[in-house]
Amino acid sequence: MLVGTLVLATVVGIVLRSRDGRMRGGGGASGGWALAGSAPASDERVLLLQLSSPVCTPCRQTAGVLGELTARTPGVVHLEIDVADRPDVARELGVMRTPTVVAFDRSGAELTRVSGVPRVADLEAVLAPELNRP
Amino acid sequence: MSRPGDPPVDPRGVRFSAAVTTVVLALVLLSGSGWLLAAQAVVFALGAFAGLRFSPYSVLYRALVAPRLGPPSTQEEAAPVRFSQTVGLVFTVVGVVGYFTGLTALGIVATAFALAAAFLNAAFGFCLGCEMYALIARVRNNKQGATA
Repeated sequence: MLVGTLVLATVVGIVLRSRDGRMRGGGGASGGWALAGSAPASDERVLLLQLSSPVCTPCRQTAGVLGELTARTPGVVHLEIDVADRPDVARELGVMRTPTVVAFDRSGAELTRVSGVPRVADLEAVLAPELNRP
Repeated sequence: MSRPGDPPVDPRGVRFSAAVTTVVLALVLLSGSGWLLAAQAVVFALGAFAGLRFSPYSVLYRALVAPRLGPPSTQEEAAPVRFSQTVGLVFTVVGVVGYFTGLTALGIVATAFALAAAFLNAAFGFCLGCEMYALIARVRNNKQGATA
């Protein structure tokens, strides 16, 4: 039992660590702007919707990283939602960990999502086609 | 539960406490001792209700380990850590009930969950209770929705 628990926990740890901060495509969520109670202004192309909880150290780091990204990248909006206040948003998006950031395009369709503190270079690479579209 | 006035904590102390917790819970599984698990529950309760600095492992860290390490390079918010102590308390209390009422399987399973979470924190720096707060909030909301 002891060995089994430790082996299982190690596997979980390795999986979590390998997923942490990595972009995951293929999510089919939509209506991102509406979920956040917002709508894109004329020059806004991408919404980074961050789901956070009050008891979350990496959430603070993620907010800092995304704040810097939006400050230097025109067209990107960062909104943060507390899942304690809005569990419906977590359910709608199928989010089980905080922080999770879901990126939406202008129409509200999901571009990518990432759990843990995002790797900024990877995130910028995924968003680039959307931001550079004429 | 957590008050905004809680001073920030040394992340190395958090990892140290998680490592001690891992060892204690491993000993519980090996010995099947409900009393040892009850002692761990008291440690969790002190951290969760009185404050992290009153947790015996935290006292141990400050007295024995911290003086040899020098000042911390970063600090961590106390609220998430305190929340994780509460999650640990719930699992260990369930485990204690299991061991003392003869539902040994329940005691073992609850202890194993707490052990897995403590080990993830000690070895990987993941606060499983904190990360699953979203999931817990969803479940809680579902229940409220069902009874409303």
